[in-house]
Amino acid sequence: MTSGSATDPAHANHDPAHGTAASPTVMDGTAGLARADTAIWTRGLTKRYGARRAVDHLDLQVPRGALSGFVGPNGAGKSTTLRMLLGLIRPSAGHGHVLGEPITEPDRYLHRVGAMIEGPTFHPGLSGRRNLDQLAILRGIGGWQRALRQRRVEEVLGQVGLGERADDRFSTYSLGMKQRLGIAAALLPDPCLLILDEPTNGLDPAGIREIRALLGQLAGGGMTVFVSSHLLTEVEQICDHLVMINGGRMLFQGHVTDLLAAEDPRIVMIPEHDADARRLAGLLGDEGLRVEIDLRNGPPDASATRGRRPVVTAHAPEGLAAHLNRLAMRAGITLRSLRTHRPNLEETFLRVTGEIDGDLVRTAQAGQEPDGSVPPPVGAGLDPAHSRGGAT
Amino acid sequence: MIAAFRAEWVPLLRPRFLLGTLGAVVACALLGTVLTFFSVGHRDFDGDPVTAAALSRPDGLLQGVQAVSILLGVVALSVVAASLAGDHSHGTLRNQLVARPHRARLLAGKLLALAAFVVLIVAAATAVSVGLSFLLAPTRGVSTAAWSSGAGLVELGTGFVNLCLGSLGYAAIGALAAILLRGPAAAIAVALAYALPVEMLIARIYRPARSWLPVQLMQEIATGGAADPMPYADALLRGVVYAGVMVLLALMVFRRRDMTA
Repeated sequence: MTSGSATDPAHANHDPAHGTAASPTVMDGTAGLARADTAIWTRGLTKRYGARRAVDHLDLQVPRGALSGFVGPNGAGKSTTLRMLLGLIRPSAGHGHVLGEPITEPDRYLHRVGAMIEGPTFHPGLSGRRNLDQLAILRGIGGWQRALRQRRVEEVLGQVGLGERADDRFSTYSLGMKQRLGIAAALLPDPCLLILDEPTNGLDPAGIREIRALLGQLAGGGMTVFVSSHLLTEVEQICDHLVMINGGRMLFQGHVTDLLAAEDPRIVMIPEHDADARRLAGLLGDEGLRVEIDLRNGPPDASATRGRRPVVTAHAPEGLAAHLNRLAMRAGITLRSLRTHRPNLEETFLRVTGEIDGDLVRTAQAGQEPDGSVPPPVGAGLDPAHSRGGAT
Repeated sequence: MIAAFRAEWVPLLRPRFLLGTLGAVVACALLGTVLTFFSVGHRDFDGDPVTAAALSRPDGLLQGVQAVSILLGVVALSVVAASLAGDHSHGTLRNQLVARPHRARLLAGKLLALAAFVVLIVAAATAVSVGLSFLLAPTRGVSTAAWSSGAGLVELGTGFVNLCLGSLGYAAIGALAAILLRGPAAAIAVALAYALPVEMLIARIYRPARSWLPVQLMQEIATGGAADPMPYADALLRGVVYAGVMVLLALMVFRRRDMTA
């Protein structure tokens, strides 16, 4: 699958404080071609509310047939962008195409689009089935033939596993069931493009897995799925394409693997004896590696528990792990633990959006230890759950 | 527009809503009819005497329901405002606009369905009132002969159409309030506050204003021009213009406004 973008993943690592986007460099001359190859294509899409720009010159390019994730912190402009794509709000500037049709003419493409934005919203006094029935009538599904319409409603209810509770009133549904009904409504027109906003909100782990499988299956069948989510682990697992925005501006778009490959791999070591941490850092530094010691994790005083130890982090690829182990052994340093770590999407997201002090530059400026060592990013290399590499 | 019309009936026909609305208008019809017949020999709200002879005329059959035409209007206004503003507040309008993006056609279909629903509830109220009138007439010495005559049937038809038109006028106010305010409670409260105390006060303080205030005109139309010296045709024309302008304004706002709910 093509990313549909000439994004250099390395450019994704920009300074969010300056708001410079690593948006794909798409030549103007290729714009027409890009439109044909993409399900969603925008240029300079902007939405202003007074002086505030909710969406700021967004150049989206979602390839046809992709399962594309749309991520950004709260207030990043995701929902505003989706609303513009669905013709619910008018852009202040810029233009765009959905399924080859201009977003200023939503009636030309929305019959091929299914959407659930900002949560499932249905009539509380109607059953799930009747809510879907109303939308099916609006969409003209089955024409005047009730049987055809009901068959389609039945199909989508079955797809999301809501058949048994379909006749209960919407107001009695759990959040997870409401989400399923929202997805069912989006699937009603058998769309070419499915736009979902937080589809796994409120679902239990089994439900999340089911929806994940369903989305994969839909994308596998050729449907373009554009899904916004805060569950970055989910996005990382299911999406092959990613759009990341913050403050209404593009941070990255392209393959998820490209983004992660551009991230800084690390080897995290914990010496058996705390006193060896500085010596180990010196050794690694002599090898030309950038090294950090997290001394904050050591016991604050002698009486404290010894459950936490200094952590030495070397910025190096996984392939150097064995070499570093040998180096430590030769110097008489026994390692209690050595593992490789590559930031996952969540860490990358938080660093790029500046949500935590994960940016090494910022951390170095703001939080140097008294001995001059630099604490590693929060959680980096410390939590096995976040480690993508194998431990040795 | 046809799809929007058909789709709007799904929430309108849900049993709780339908029975509640019918219950309200039937209660209004019962109240108006019983009070009208029990007023025989007394004076009405405006101080005019209520006599058995007056009720025995061909137009006497609908006196009961016409007495509560303002309540029917209030129900019509509330139903339309609650339905349209409810779509905003529940967020269901988002789904509907994605399913049927042509906004003018969507709203036109919804308004048409709501108008048909208003006619349906006015018909229910009229039917109840007519039936009760026939039951109560002998007890108050009212003759029903003229009611069943050709003239009586014409009066029945005309009176029903007037009640419908008056109620639809109220409904237009409810529709505009719903589109502008986007919340059922706010839309109903503001529309009723305007329709009842505000206009009534203005009309009482400055009587000529009755010929121009929209709700007063709707009331004139609903009662067949009985309450005011202004010609019925003038009231009808002005009422229709007011209702048309309100619907047009609602359509324009609905078409242009960003859907942020």
